[in-house]
Amino acid sequence: MNNSNVAAARRRRFDELVGVFHQDMYRYAAWLSRDRTIAEDVVQESLLRAWKSLDSLREDAAAKHWLLTIVRRENARYFERRRLETVDIDNLTPSQEALLANQPNEELDEMRAAIYRLDDDYREPLVLQVLMGYSTNEIAEMMELKQGAVLTRLHRARHKLRDKMQEEVADRDRCNDP
Amino acid sequence: MKCEDYKEAIATDPSWEGGEAHLSGCAACQGYRDDMQALDRRIQQALSLRVPELDVPELPELDTENVVTLQARRRISTPAWFAVAATVVIAAFVGVRMVGNDVTYPSLADEIVAHLDHEPRALKVTDKPVSDRALTRVVPASIAEMNHEAGLITYARTCVINGKKIPHLVIQGEFGPVTILLMPDEKIDGPVQINGQSINGVILSVGSGSVAIIGEDKENLGNIQQRVVDSVSWST
Repeated sequence: MNNSNVAAARRRRFDELVGVFHQDMYRYAAWLSRDRTIAEDVVQESLLRAWKSLDSLREDAAAKHWLLTIVRRENARYFERRRLETVDIDNLTPSQEALLANQPNEELDEMRAAIYRLDDDYREPLVLQVLMGYSTNEIAEMMELKQGAVLTRLHRARHKLRDKMQEEVADRDRCNDP
Repeated sequence: MKCEDYKEAIATDPSWEGGEAHLSGCAACQGYRDDMQALDRRIQQALSLRVPELDVPELPELDTENVVTLQARRRISTPAWFAVAATVVIAAFVGVRMVGNDVTYPSLADEIVAHLDHEPRALKVTDKPVSDRALTRVVPASIAEMNHEAGLITYARTCVINGKKIPHLVIQGEFGPVTILLMPDEKIDGPVQINGQSINGVILSVGSGSVAIIGEDKENLGNIQQRVVDSVSWST
């Protein structure tokens, strides 16, 4: 097989994998960075890095994990470069606002805002479990944590979200009282 | 099990199916589990952001001079397959790992055989089933309903065939692992035989999709085919 065929096959493999996992990459980047514009930058950088190191991916079955790991590293690099300050949810940039104003649904917006406010340590394992479908073992490996730490964070994350949503409901009920 | 323990387990994973004995006699824990599962559904909805169209950056040309290409796919034959350690199996396949990446597949069957070579660790002799959670993750209700009648499922991963995510399962047959690929969107006109070195298989038309079943060459796939087809129903 000549070089142009090899290159074409390589590109085809890349396009297939990225086509399938692009949504997961973007959502993971968005919830890590909490900013749509940064997420788009991180995904672009991740795609470039994935393209360059595609031959290191031995099994396509491992592609999702491989791509998300690249996204995670690129996100960390981005924030190392920019050294961004802590986000104040009451003073968001338009790009950060865009993450929250995803769909016109009050209850979902409240949940999204509550997730947004979670510490990174709690938000990330939740995204990996609920959205990406990873087991606690896999999350521990990905985040380089012990499994016990992942369990604790997931437990606390859900309780924080549940409490926050109960507060929101109570607030709404108070507002609706005559 | 105490309520405290049950609640802790369910808060870390609301899809956890353990603690049945406790749950059946504890209304408080049942309520807690239902709340947590409802919470998780809302979390999932909230996390599922709208995704902009894929915008692939300009990719640099890479040096392909040193890429090794192989002309033919080979599969390890039984019974040697049973005897060798997993590491040896993997090592044997590392040599053919580029296979499939540099081949234009003439047919679905060819792509499937290449895929098996890509994923050797799926073909492990074991009696350890995958968890219900893993199975549900790989075969979500939105794709298909699958019950456990097919056999002992020991491997479940989402894979890509013909550009689409599909459930890749392995059940244990009489002569070794049997690969099952559920392809709800791959319509075929009729059964397609898959023959290769030390393997035999078939792609069967099932409803609007198809199912590939591949085992070792000595494996009698007849019974397995029937069980698999009976245990699967597409959701769409």
